[in-house]
Amino acid sequence: MIQAQSLTKRYGSKVAVDAIDFTIQPGTVTGLLGPNGAGKTTTMRMIVGLDRPDSGSVLVNGQRYQDLRAPLREVGVLLDAKAIHTGRSARNHLLAMAATHNIPKSRVDDVIELTGLTSVARKRVGGYSLGMGQRLGIAAALLGDPGILILDEPVNGLDPEGVQWVRKLMRHLAGEGRTVLLSSHLMSEMALTADHIIMLGRGRVIADAPVAEIIGQAGGATVRVRSPHATRLATLLAQAEVTVVNLEQDVLQITGITAAEIGDQAAAAGIVLHELTSVSASLEDAYMSLTRNEVEYRTGGTGDEEFDDDDSDTTDAATDAAANDDPDPRETELQEAAR
Amino acid sequence: MSTPTILVAGTPEALADIGTEFVPATTPAGPHLSALGIIRSEWIKLSTVRSTIWCFAVLLVVSMGLAAIMSLALDLTGTDITTVPGTDQARFVAQASSFGVFFGQLIVAVLGALAVTGEFTTGMIRSTLTAVPKRLPALWAKALVLFVATFVAGLVSNIAAYVVTVSIVSGQGLHASLFAPEVILPVLGGSLYLALVAVFALGIGTIVRSGAGSIAVALGVILLLPVVLQMIPATWASDVLPYLISSAGISMFGLMQFAKVPLDWSVDLIIVLVWVVVSLGTAAVLLKRRDA
Repeated sequence: MIQAQSLTKRYGSKVAVDAIDFTIQPGTVTGLLGPNGAGKTTTMRMIVGLDRPDSGSVLVNGQRYQDLRAPLREVGVLLDAKAIHTGRSARNHLLAMAATHNIPKSRVDDVIELTGLTSVARKRVGGYSLGMGQRLGIAAALLGDPGILILDEPVNGLDPEGVQWVRKLMRHLAGEGRTVLLSSHLMSEMALTADHIIMLGRGRVIADAPVAEIIGQAGGATVRVRSPHATRLATLLAQAEVTVVNLEQDVLQITGITAAEIGDQAAAAGIVLHELTSVSASLEDAYMSLTRNEVEYRTGGTGDEEFDDDDSDTTDAATDAAANDDPDPRETELQEAAR
Repeated sequence: MSTPTILVAGTPEALADIGTEFVPATTPAGPHLSALGIIRSEWIKLSTVRSTIWCFAVLLVVSMGLAAIMSLALDLTGTDITTVPGTDQARFVAQASSFGVFFGQLIVAVLGALAVTGEFTTGMIRSTLTAVPKRLPALWAKALVLFVATFVAGLVSNIAAYVVTVSIVSGQGLHASLFAPEVILPVLGGSLYLALVAVFALGIGTIVRSGAGSIAVALGVILLLPVVLQMIPATWASDVLPYLISSAGISMFGLMQFAKVPLDWSVDLIIVLVWVVVSLGTAAVLLKRRDA
């Protein structure tokens, strides 16, 4: 259980995290999603006391992280794979971490084995690939067998096998009743791993809901209908919960009703359909539409120079996120897996 | 949006409420943070990086080498060694044995700075501070481990230098026991000074955070400041000179004197300690306050 209340962090005049509230429940995988610079990492750093909040508070199991008697055994954290001295071996790094809490050596060997680092554990970390560093970071997070896991971009640099391993591990840990918080800008990864999404944009919580609900907010399931009698069909379907948008002359986009129901009603009324397609929104659509709204809201609201600059940043970040879908083969694979 | 929890921020009652309302504030039974554990962790960290091994190895070699050079340069031709008082013989042996401290102070300053800047530059500090979120215990443990390790390394180097010295000068009939007060006190004092310089540099490293920057600052204070002061012709400069960390440290064990009227060794020790306390104290305040 992690609870944040009016949590705020400023860097100079820039507000990185802007009075956010959230509660992260045990037994679920919660995804912290947002474009670069949205405040994901800063939020995580504040949870474990690396950054001091300017106002508000965040509590871990009802206590400030700094006041925990055995922090490593309550919270395991992977902030970035580089939080390790490059001149030391993985095993010595883990032994040094374990020593602070008098965690036995056998546990160090256990997490080394669990993360598949046995063959390189005595080599200096400086020579590790990004993926191995990431595994070592996860090993360090698991060292104290903690009830809460906080992982910033855990699949960064992992091969597809590693990605799947992390996904299964997170699901397994949440299944044991642990609290799992992970951040990512990979929507497809989140859709597969997370139960619940907290979406951040420009330091604010844009959405905080189960994955299905977030997707629903982006329009949910829509049905695309092509018919020479589009107008008649639109009139026929007109109900309170049904939205009909006329895309082209004979194409309708309908939400709030299933494709089967539309087909039935059209058949009963003798309306000819040329196309009837169910189009379900993805988490990615939800993410894009929610972050776009955030940008538009900001631009409309102020319009001074500072915000204009920020807007272009956010747009860049969104473009980056979109660009991630294609060039990187690893991520393409993920996207495909997600579909 | 989840329902925001309504509570009065900051009050202990409010914090306790959250604990009991949702999850009992459980501290898992079993291993937990302890002072001894943190010290052990810092010892593992210090002993498992190459820079530590290298610094101590160089310290040993330099101490022995300088002792050898000084001893070989001793020319007693024409002197009847039996007429030289034992205390003078012991003083020469002590000087040769502790001469390495002159250079050793630079080596351990680098070591002290690297012991902490290595964590800042690699990001390791974030792992350290999530394991020890109160932060200061980690700094104290680091200082303690560095102090003890450097003292032992200094002692070993000085004693090795003594062995080298004696084995060379005994050929000319010069003798001094390691445990003669004229020998053992400089050997111990020199080691103590080395250990304190390392901790001084640790403080600088924590303040400056970059490796190159903190080495430059530490060496500047130890090496450059005395030279600059000696070049200034004003009297205040020569008045200030004995109060520098390196002047006080070197004169503490009788290798050289910088004051017109020599200060008592205890005064020298206090001067060195003040430098260390200011450095480490500033480091503690900044480490506690800054975002990591």
